[in-house]
Amino acid sequence: MLLELKNIYKWVNSGGRRFYLLKDAHLQVEEGEFISIMGPSGSGKSTLLNVIGMLDDFNEGEYNFLDEPVHQLKEKHKANLYKEYIGFVFQAYHLIDELTVYENIETPLLYKKISGSERKALVADMLDRFNIVGKKDLFPSQLSGGQQQLVGIARALITKPKLILADEPTGNLNSKQGEEIMELFKQLNEEGVTIIQVTHSEKNAEYGSRIINLLDGTVIEK
Amino acid sequence: MFKNYFKIAWRNILRSKGYAFINILGLSLGLACAMLIMLYVKDEVSYDKFHSNVDDIYRVVSEYSSGMLQGKNPNTGYLQGPYFSENTPEINEFVRIQGASKDFKLGTDVVPEQPLNVDPNFFSMFSFPVLYGNPETCLQQPKSVVISEDLAIKYFGKTSVVGETLMVKEGEDFEPYAVTAVTKRCPQNSSIKFDILLPMTVPEGTLANNENWFSIFLNTFVSVKPNVKVESVNNTIQNIFVSQAKETANMFAEKYGDKNFAILPTYSLQPFTDMHLNKELPAQNGLRDGSNPMYSYILSAIALFVLLIACINFVNLTVARSVRRSKEIGIRKVVGGDRKQLIVQFLGESFLLCFMAFALAVLLVQLILPVFNDLSNKVLAISYLFDTKLLLGFVTLFIVTTLLAGFYPALILSKYKPVDTLYSRFVLKGKNYLQKSLVVLQFTLASFLIVGTFVIYKQFSFLTNYDLGYDDSNIVEVQKYGMTTDQFSLFKSKLMSNPNIVEVAGKNAGYMGTSGVVNGDERFGFAYENVSESYIPTLNINVVSGRNFSSLYASDAAHSALVNESFVKKAGWQNPLGQIVKLGTGEDGKYTVIGVVKDYHFSSLNQLIQPQLFTMHPDNSFGKALIKIKPGNVSETLSFIESAFKETFPLTPYNHTFMDEVNKRNYQAEAKWKQIVLFGAVLTIFISCIGLFGLTVLSVEKRAKEIGIRKVLGASVNNILGIVSRDFIKLVSIALVIAMPLGWLVANKWLESYPYRIMFGWQIFVSVMVLVILVALLTVSFQALKVALANPVKSLRTE
Repeated sequence: MLLELKNIYKWVNSGGRRFYLLKDAHLQVEEGEFISIMGPSGSGKSTLLNVIGMLDDFNEGEYNFLDEPVHQLKEKHKANLYKEYIGFVFQAYHLIDELTVYENIETPLLYKKISGSERKALVADMLDRFNIVGKKDLFPSQLSGGQQQLVGIARALITKPKLILADEPTGNLNSKQGEEIMELFKQLNEEGVTIIQVTHSEKNAEYGSRIINLLDGTVIEK
Repeated sequence: MFKNYFKIAWRNILRSKGYAFINILGLSLGLACAMLIMLYVKDEVSYDKFHSNVDDIYRVVSEYSSGMLQGKNPNTGYLQGPYFSENTPEINEFVRIQGASKDFKLGTDVVPEQPLNVDPNFFSMFSFPVLYGNPETCLQQPKSVVISEDLAIKYFGKTSVVGETLMVKEGEDFEPYAVTAVTKRCPQNSSIKFDILLPMTVPEGTLANNENWFSIFLNTFVSVKPNVKVESVNNTIQNIFVSQAKETANMFAEKYGDKNFAILPTYSLQPFTDMHLNKELPAQNGLRDGSNPMYSYILSAIALFVLLIACINFVNLTVARSVRRSKEIGIRKVVGGDRKQLIVQFLGESFLLCFMAFALAVLLVQLILPVFNDLSNKVLAISYLFDTKLLLGFVTLFIVTTLLAGFYPALILSKYKPVDTLYSRFVLKGKNYLQKSLVVLQFTLASFLIVGTFVIYKQFSFLTNYDLGYDDSNIVEVQKYGMTTDQFSLFKSKLMSNPNIVEVAGKNAGYMGTSGVVNGDERFGFAYENVSESYIPTLNINVVSGRNFSSLYASDAAHSALVNESFVKKAGWQNPLGQIVKLGTGEDGKYTVIGVVKDYHFSSLNQLIQPQLFTMHPDNSFGKALIKIKPGNVSETLSFIESAFKETFPLTPYNHTFMDEVNKRNYQAEAKWKQIVLFGAVLTIFISCIGLFGLTVLSVEKRAKEIGIRKVLGASVNNILGIVSRDFIKLVSIALVIAMPLGWLVANKWLESYPYRIMFGWQIFVSVMVLVILVALLTVSFQALKVALANPVKSLRTE
């Protein structure tokens, strides 16, 4: 098992009342799965994804990732864990505007202290694979949305993560670009990468092997 | 990794040129200021330290507890050096230095020079490099002269001139002096600066006469054996002095009827290096550049202010701008960067900005240095930068600035949580008290300096426009030492033949002080002038009772005196006319007061008017002539005066000054400080304002949506202006509230040192407040107006 969430609660206090973002959420994810999280706005999809990605804390419950009890880990250890195994893809791409395509993809490797020549080879592979070699010296603002998301995915993949977390990866794209991205995810999944995506679109959800529905912070598995 | 950081930093600078410009400009101004002042302070504290055994060199000084010389006194006479060093085993040797004036012949011209009279062992105590000649023997022979390379060039056109002859005026004739050595130019940071050294000649019999213990007019330096306790030497020399001078002192007290003479001064040693910045025991009498340490303090404070304000800009702008960078920070954390790496990155960026600012600052310093030299009376050069200590100082300054400006933003920025920044949930939390207090601090400092500038300006114009009590306009002063009454009359009659010359008066050179006895046995000190009959009318001084000197009264010449009102007050006279003042002993020393003149400011307004007494004694020579001329045709009149002077005194160098200009020069220090403080104030307010400008830009950016919504809902341009400006103006107002009382306190303290000073009330503070608020408002509204006029659709669409 890749990860397991048990009885996860997350809340915020506001005006003396407690609002639940996640309420008794359960989830088990095996390696190689492709999961789509769906639900209405405000149902806690992104929160769940961030909890899985260890970017956000939760208030109660148990979370085991590769048999490590995340709820007991210190911040630093947690950070190391997600840096090692998880890649993030965002709806708004979140590329660094001041860096070129090449440099954006290279950035995670810099933090991993990988040697220059190895970095070059890895980035070149990735550019090649996504057919964006010709765009490597362009800045994000010079790319279309679909191309930016491709770079975002390339950056997420460069460290060879076990798990990709994608928060509405096609939300800002037109349908054709969206389809291409979903095809790419499917292909990645077939190569063995576990994927969890948040989506509003039934059609995109169909790419996955399993759909999780969220309502008011609670998982309603179908 | 560093390449990546550098790239990001560089592209960020390029992307937001305005922000980088503000940061770099502000910082470089601050740094340039700090560098200049480091140069200045370094120069100040390095004075005289170049002498190889400087720690063993002391100057003999004394302190009088009462009498005319009351207070500390840097001067000594002929006797102190030889007696003290002979009888104190800890003292190695002594050198006496006396400033002098001598006329030299250059071709056919007579040139006045200021040589130093020194003892022959001058070069064994002081480390001045000698280019040609033997430093040990060059001052042994009378009529030998040691000159600097500059003077050698001036007189001979070359530096290798040992054995050549210079013509030096002695009495009325020129005598040949042999050049025995040529020295390098004295260092800039030397209190002893000379172009000419002459061997000191002590009149015969001087050393045997104990009265000379009380005749003090030169500087005596002694060098002590290494590691000697100065206190014990002080005791020894005091004992020597008491045993030698006690009897004479008692004799004086009896002879002049003044008990103060019997109270002996205390002699002690002043470290040579202490001299330059000592206000009580300054470098004088041939020693140069005595300075007030206050200047170093004021300058350092200004530099610190400016640098601090520039750093605050950096911090505020970087933190405020971090909203824009927050996304990048989030991404970096998500893709694997940890906090330490982010801190390093942001420090690196501030390092880069600081480095650019630093480079610009060096350029600025080079540009400003001539102006600064002029202002501070120094000859500082950028080559000083190659001094290792100073270089180290600059590097430290650079690193401290980088850390000061970069560390806080780096800490704040690196703390952002990616989940906040990446989901547009991010706002700068809290009330931002730090940013606000920093803005308050900036404007407090700036307003404080502006108050200072206002006060200094007012005080200065007060001093320069003050009614001196006499008319100093159109008066030409011509120097001639030892001008006898007859010579003066001849000169005057020649001058008066020109209708453009109104009146000519003679007086002693400079200002003398003496003491006299009034009311039978009361002795006090006063300023003393020996003048011609025409002096009072020439200067248009009011005679309030009695009459001026007159040649019609035969007794006026030797036995009449005029006094000023302060004199009358001090003497306690109800009826001053006919009172007797004893200046000397016997009948000859008695003067009868024939008139009282209105108090006038004969010396600088930095001093209260002292009691003053005038005589017209024909045996006393004059030192200068005051010539009242008619306005218009000034240059013709001046050349007439010159030719008349050359005719009368062919061997004396001619030079003239205008009295009102000389008077203005008394306030040169004030004028310079006025300018320096003005620079400081303008600089601080300018840097504060560019910081404020930057903050407004960022604040407006952050509030673009809010402003858009307000406009859609019907807010007018004025409403928006108000909303954007209000917060900043509030901060500036708080700063003013803090700065005003502070400014009031410090200004009052400063004014206390002036006996004649302005009274300043609330008007100054109101003007400063209005000025600062206006400048701040202008800065803010420039940007605010831009958003107020912008189309709200744009800002609302960007979501």
